[in-house]
Order: sequence, then structure tokens, then C-alpha cells
Amino acid sequence: MNWPSVFSAVLTHLQITFFGVLLGCVIGLPMAVLLIQKPKLSHSVFAVIDLVQTVPTLAMLIFVMLLLGLNNRTVVVSIALFSLFPIIRNAYVGLNSVDRGTLRAAKGIGMTQLQVFTKVRIPIAAPMILAGIRLAVVSALSIATTGVFIGAGGLGMLVWRGIQTRNTAMMLSGAVPISMLALMLEYFIERIEKKLTYYK
Amino acid sequence: MVRFENVHMSYGEHAVLKGIDLHIEPGQLAVLIGPSGCGKTTTLQLINRLITPTEGKIFVNGRDISTVDPVELRRGIGYVIQEIGLFPHMTVKQNIEIVPKLLGWDEQKRSARSKELLKLVGMEERYLDVYPAKLSGGQQQRIGLLRALAVEPPIVLMDEPFGALDPITRESLQDEIMTLNKKLHKTVIFVTHDMDEALKIADVIILMKDGNIVQAATPKELLSHPANEFVESFIGKQRQAVGKLDTVREVMSARVVCAPDDTSVVEAVDLMRRQRVPSVFVLNKEGGFDGQISIKDIQSFSCTGDEMISRLANKQIPTVHPEGSASEAFKIMMQENIDELPVVDGDRVVGIVTRRSMVTSLAKVVWQGEAHE
Repeated sequence: MNWPSVFSAVLTHLQITFFGVLLGCVIGLPMAVLLIQKPKLSHSVFAVIDLVQTVPTLAMLIFVMLLLGLNNRTVVVSIALFSLFPIIRNAYVGLNSVDRGTLRAAKGIGMTQLQVFTKVRIPIAAPMILAGIRLAVVSALSIATTGVFIGAGGLGMLVWRGIQTRNTAMMLSGAVPISMLALMLEYFIERIEKKLTYYK
Repeated sequence: MVRFENVHMSYGEHAVLKGIDLHIEPGQLAVLIGPSGCGKTTTLQLINRLITPTEGKIFVNGRDISTVDPVELRRGIGYVIQEIGLFPHMTVKQNIEIVPKLLGWDEQKRSARSKELLKLVGMEERYLDVYPAKLSGGQQQRIGLLRALAVEPPIVLMDEPFGALDPITRESLQDEIMTLNKKLHKTVIFVTHDMDEALKIADVIILMKDGNIVQAATPKELLSHPANEFVESFIGKQRQAVGKLDTVREVMSARVVCAPDDTSVVEAVDLMRRQRVPSVFVLNKEGGFDGQISIKDIQSFSCTGDEMISRLANKQIPTVHPEGSASEAFKIMMQENIDELPVVDGDRVVGIVTRRSMVTSLAKVVWQGEAHE
């Protein structure tokens, strides 16, 4: 078993996942805030991200590949696009489910619109927002695996090569870390979510 | 302190306020009341610019509020609402200190202030680090009130603040508001739909209907000189009705809660809770009337729970005879500022006159009368 190559594949895999979801957050979270303020927009925006969500992973990779070429960046962007759905949905619902009375009080005692978001809406919605990110991370790990088809690195590479050379050990050296990463990240983020509801 | 000049408010075609002129003096406890949809909440929300009038001017402290930054304006006006709206993720301390923090007070000053405020409503300091979810409804609304008072705003707006609380808590918070209003000289503008509440706490009652002010007067004036038929019917046609309801028996409620004089204070409090009454009558060994004990008395005396209620009972409370005059009973309640009047025949308690029982009886007479016409 080639441990150094497994280790570097894990790192690449995590990198791709991380930057993909990060990009999804950078686009998705401000988008959710915008949609809260312009509820009329939300119908059309949700229609679009619902549509994006239905595109099969491989098809998405190919579409993005045509624009960005055969590399890790294509996978990162694809992950970001798939992340939009859980991130925006959850953030939107979370920010919107803050009690109306609490919001009226916040405004009534003299918070600016920005303060209403930073001091009230976001902290209260935080567990919900994080749950969206958790869903995005878990699906990103599997999308990153398919990245091997368009020449990206990561654990998918080990699985794919293992299958092609009928090398079970190599295949598993990719598949096992992927599953473990998924379980660990899920558990870790869920624990943070629980911590964020300290006041209940 | 607060002045409205010909204020109109409409949403599209629908006019909510149709030319409101209003003047509330400093230190007054003004109550806005009226049937739902009369525009009372709208009127309140105009004062801190949660909404903007379609037409007309509003002055707070002599300043035309349309020229003031809404955020700055709101920080200078306390705001208490029925939903309470405490921030669930902040402790009691953080909730109370939120406006001081927004205004940049330092930690020392803030913390001194929150302790002082908590004392004001009789809550212990250990509540400072508790989250709102752990408080009862009444405690939550007390904190809501303190949050509004934190930077000593001269004006406090209250939008049906006690509407969702149980009767006993509501009574005691009403008392606290009246005390605060007198002690701290705050101008309080209070919205309610409960006439009992308005009559109890108001310096001036502003009765609204369909976007107009029908009458603005002291509770006494409102009762003695209602401006028109609507006012009469809204307060229950008290004047004419009292003519028809001559005796105490007709306005009393026969549902009395009594306890023998050897009942312990804890048991008495429990009884009040279960029966949802703010007081019980104390009976002596022979079952005769021997005073009254209210939850307020129990709160104001420091006593151990197993003390007997006979010691704390108020034996000087005025009583009336069931065949006595109903208007006399009403006068006694207004003059002595008491909410409940025992009705005693010989030494037996036969009933109780409360503001509620009186209004209920009046309402029955009024509406039955109309049905026969």
C-alpha cells in the first residue's frame, strides 16, 4: 500500500471539497440574506437552484469542464453549484423562521437593519445555516470522487485506478477514507450545531 | 411630549387613520383603546416610526420625527410588545443591556444598570445569567419591560403588553407599570382592548373607532360624560345601566373563593392559582367573614409559607350588603381604588363585586335591552 499517495489524495480531496463548499457559501449565504429582503425574488431564484440540483453530477462536470477545462477547478465550481441548494434553502428558512415578535422588538428598540441581521437573525438561524452546510459538505465529498472522470485528483483517482487494474486494495484505499471523511465531518459539524443551540 | 397633527395613514385605498390630533403630556399614562381595526396599534407604531404616516406631522419632545433618524429616535423610546420578543440566544443581562450596548456604554455602567433594573421589578440578581426560555411568561415580560427602560427613555410605548398573561400576573404587572409611571415620571402610551385594564391604569383614555379619536378623557370623565353613544356602548352604557341595576346583588358574582382562617399561606396561594383569582376570603371558625387576603398582600409581607392566613388577612376591607346600592358599591371601589368588594349578609359572604362582574352585568342589561327593542 502506498500510504503517502493515499495521504496526498485525502488532502486533495478535502481541498476540493472545502473550496467548493466555501465558494457555495460565499455565493449562497449573501444570496439568502438578499432573498429575505426581496421575497419577491425568492420564487425565481429557488426555481433556478432547484433546476441546478436536478442536473446529474457527471453532466454538470461536463458542462463546467467545457468552460474551465480538465482540472480541479471544474470540480470545485461544480460542488459550489450543487451546494447552493442546501445552503440557500436552509439559510433562507432559518433566517425567515426567527420569531416575528423578536424581529419587531429588535427594530423597535433601535437596531439598524444590519444589526438585526448580525445580532439577532444570524445567531438564531446559525444552527439551521450550519445544517445546510453539513448537507453540502457530505454531498461534496461524493461529487469530488467523480471528479476523477474529468482529470481531477483526490480519492476518486485511487478508486478508479483500483477498479481498472482490478486492484482491490487500491480501490479500498480510496473508498474507505471517503466514507470515513463523510462520517467524521458529519459528526463534527453536527456537534457544532448542537453547541449553537446552547440557550434552549 | 407626543403630539399628532392631522395624521392620516392609509394602505392603498384603505384608510386606517383619518386625521388624528392628539396631545399626550409628559408623565401621563395614556391608554389607546378601541375595537379591533380602530387604528390604535397603528397610532402607536407611528410614534417610533415603525411606520410612516401618509399625511400629517408627529412631534416627540418638540421635534418633528420625520426629520429624525428612525434608529436614533427608537433608541430614545422604550418599546414593549405583546409577543415580548426577548432575544432567545441572549441572557437576561444581555437582553436588558442591549440598547445601552448599542449606544456604547461601558461594561461597568451597563452592568450596574441591569442590576438596578432587576431590583426595580423585584427579581433577584441570579436571573442575570439565565436564558429567556427558562423564565415564566410574567418574568419574561418584566425583562421585556426592563429592556425598554434600560437607557431611561422619557417615553415608553406598550402594545397590549399583558394580553397574553394570566390574570394574576397581569394584575401585578399593571400595578408595576402604574408605580413605574409615577416613580420614574415616564410618559407611557399603552394600547389595550381591555376596558377594565384601561380604567384601572389610565390617566387619560383615548377611545378610537374606525381611524378617528372618539373621545380622549380621564377615566372618570369618560364614565360620567361619554361623548356619544359609541362611547357609552363601549364602556357598557354604565350610567343608564346602573339605573336599571339597583342592587349590589345584581352586579355581583356569586362565585367566591373562601378559605378557613387556619389555612396556611402556601395553601392559599395554591388555591388562588387553581381558582385563577387574585384573592380569597378568610372565614372564621363559624364560617363568618373575617377579612380578605390577596396575592399582593402575600407578596408584600415577608412570611414563611406555613404561617396562617388569619394573621395576614386584611380585616378592614370595606364590604357591602347584597341589597345595598350598586352605584354606591362602584363608588367605593373607585374611591378606595380596590378591585374587589366582598358582599356580606350578616356575617356570611354571599358574593363579590369586581370590575369584571360589574361590567359583565352591565353588558347583559345593555344587550338584552337592545334585543327587546
